[in-house]
Amino acid sequence: MSEQPLFKVTIDNITIEVPAGTTILNAARKIGGDVAPPAMCYYSKLQGSGGKCRTCLVEVSKGSEKDPRPMPKLVASCRTTVMDGMEVKNITSPKVLDARAGIVEFLLLNHPLDCPICDQAGECHLQDLSYEHGKEGTRYEFQRRTFKKHDLGPYIQLHMTRCILCYRCVFTADQLTQKREHGILDRGDHSEIATLIEKSLENDFIGNVIDVCPVGALTDKTFRFKNRVWFLKPMDAHRDCPTCSGKVTLWNRGDEVFRVTARKDEWGEVESLEDGKTAWICNTCRFEKKKTSDWVIEGPRNISRHSVISQGHYQGKIGTHMPTETFEAVNGGREPKIWLDIHSISEVNQPSIDLSLIEGPAHSNDFNSRKD
Amino acid sequence: MGVQLLLEKAKVEGIRKYEVYRREGGYRSVEKALKTMSPETIVDEVKKSGLRGRGGAGFPTGMKWSFIAKPEGVSRHLVCNADESEPGTFKDRFLMEFIPHLLIEGLIVSSFALGSNTTYIYIRGEYAWVAEILEFAIAEAKANGFLGKNILGTGFDCEIYVHRGAGAYICGEETALIESLEGKRGNPRIKPPFPAIQGAWMRPTVVNNVETLAAIVPIINLGGDEYAKIGIGKSTGTKLMSACGNIKKPGVYEIDMTISVEEFIFSDEYCGGIANGKRLKACIPGGSSVPILPANLLLKTAKGDTRYMNYESLSDGGFATGSMMGSGGFIVLDEDQCVVKNTYTFARFYRHESCGQCSPCREGTGWMEKLLLRLENGQGKISDIDLLWDIQRKIEGNTICPLGDAAAWPVAAAIRHFRDEFEWHVTHAEEAVKMNYGLAHYADPIHVPA
Repeated sequence: MSEQPLFKVTIDNITIEVPAGTTILNAARKIGGDVAPPAMCYYSKLQGSGGKCRTCLVEVSKGSEKDPRPMPKLVASCRTTVMDGMEVKNITSPKVLDARAGIVEFLLLNHPLDCPICDQAGECHLQDLSYEHGKEGTRYEFQRRTFKKHDLGPYIQLHMTRCILCYRCVFTADQLTQKREHGILDRGDHSEIATLIEKSLENDFIGNVIDVCPVGALTDKTFRFKNRVWFLKPMDAHRDCPTCSGKVTLWNRGDEVFRVTARKDEWGEVESLEDGKTAWICNTCRFEKKKTSDWVIEGPRNISRHSVISQGHYQGKIGTHMPTETFEAVNGGREPKIWLDIHSISEVNQPSIDLSLIEGPAHSNDFNSRKD
Repeated sequence: MGVQLLLEKAKVEGIRKYEVYRREGGYRSVEKALKTMSPETIVDEVKKSGLRGRGGAGFPTGMKWSFIAKPEGVSRHLVCNADESEPGTFKDRFLMEFIPHLLIEGLIVSSFALGSNTTYIYIRGEYAWVAEILEFAIAEAKANGFLGKNILGTGFDCEIYVHRGAGAYICGEETALIESLEGKRGNPRIKPPFPAIQGAWMRPTVVNNVETLAAIVPIINLGGDEYAKIGIGKSTGTKLMSACGNIKKPGVYEIDMTISVEEFIFSDEYCGGIANGKRLKACIPGGSSVPILPANLLLKTAKGDTRYMNYESLSDGGFATGSMMGSGGFIVLDEDQCVVKNTYTFARFYRHESCGQCSPCREGTGWMEKLLLRLENGQGKISDIDLLWDIQRKIEGNTICPLGDAAAWPVAAAIRHFRDEFEWHVTHAEEAVKMNYGLAHYADPIHVPA
């Protein structure tokens, strides 16, 4: 095979050389950081995924060296391949940020936002996305769509209310397993992920749909409501498994193994093995080996410093340590503005009323009498 | 009556039958094309004719045909898009129902031009009786040697199959149509690759509208240059318009794209004016997805020129003061119609028909529908109108397929031109549920009934 030509692509004014056929998203991921557009439906390990959630829309301000015309619309970076000399704007384009805020709003329209009781909280892509690109309030004033919870077999629960219809689980079930029993019913905003007539999913690798789900729609029934992910310590471990690679992440608290997942990379995707295959794990490893004695522990797993999971844990890539700075040192003699002026949001705390002058506990009458 | 190329013979008794159609000069173009022309010359003729796709987008057909990839050893397909589901459009049904052999004839010639040995007609499931008419016509054509193996002794083989859809508007989008034809869920594909490179079963495929393929017959018979002389500018040939709404004579009309909109609505030859002596309020000139136009902008463009029934003139002024030719579903609204209710009806349609694949369309169409229902019922707020505007702006252009745009445009245009009517629904909530807003400043200034 001949050497693939390298294409020069500039994303947010950072130039990188990537092989021909790379998508804009993967090129941006090579640069990393904020330049990489968020992706809710694209999953590099799944064929045909992507293009659906539209969160990764970017502006192509220059098509290529040969054809410098900009693309007329925003394009889905996960499904658009780079051209030589292409110039892409992601976070430098107000158009993209505006569109992305719209997409986040759309994704959250029918999402219940039940993060406090959701097992995915803390490792949820939608949570991250809405913190980064969402607005604080919603403009939606209607009833959200709801569904009953379904059990897909003994280990997996499907809670369609939380689903954002990224189709990742459909591709996973389709590509990892022999038989396709899992798909989308209906269309539009009433469509739902389902198995035909509530069949259970029984396959050695079906547990991977939990790992690919970007939200808490597919959850591990052996872990539901057992613990919050940020209280657990992720540990790399392996075992000699006859069906899969056996390379997993254990989520421990003390000596107790709360759950087992595949190893995920910094983009939340299941890692690739040395031989290029994806480290999907089998149901036995995931659901049944819940004792430390089943596993050979390799050591703590590196978790991004910015993830809530890394709070108070082991050293990450950069290392966490107790902050030594004091406020005075940080401020360096400056007097910073008050972060939140309480008087601006509460009528009770009027600066004109000096609480210290009121005898006894303050009463609502104290405030009323001053008004007239 | 202007030039008629497609529906000229539609009124002839028994034209559905092969014998009558043949006697009236049918299948001449097949003989001419297969015996005297090469596929390349046919594509050239179509290019010369300036024929534009009649399905809505108006993309030049000859150009589309020339894009088809021709890899060695891979068969190619032609698919006829008869999944006509746009509210207000029923021209293809008329054509297929009354003169089915015209479509078959066009399909054979086009298949020859594109090298498609297996051609499909993807017909809307609700057109069950039309599918039977087509199947009967195909059987007749086959019995007379125009289909099957070695057509007219030229060595060209062609089979046409009728595939019935299962009732989804989205399957009129060409890639969704291909998915559905393959037996999958009708979700639009992400382009590129375009169907001309990888279409049905990963083979190069061309998807064309019924009317486009039927128009191939007069192009071959007359020649591309002759065909291009009919019409005006880049709008060549004739166009079928399905007129409906509050007009005296709803129906399918063939126009040659030189007549003015005013003539089309008010002349007795075509729509015959507004029914019941009412006045014209607004019109949706190209099927439910295109922007609505108030009467004053419909008859004259923003510059004051007369608006004609062709691609350029109807879209004059862009979306700010213009509209689109679309698929030719000409919906006329009189003074008694409520634009808010009309917009709500369209929004409900798009919400129901959204495939649910990409998030702006899936969530946005439902949201717009709920807001419009609230406005229509007099429970809305003024801020809802701005919210609607913002939602449509966020949907448009950010979706996989044009359905998102089609859902956004009617809402945008209705707010752009009829904002006072939307506001009236909020400020006069009690009246709004009992009566309609009627005409305002956009009143039709010319045609006041006696």
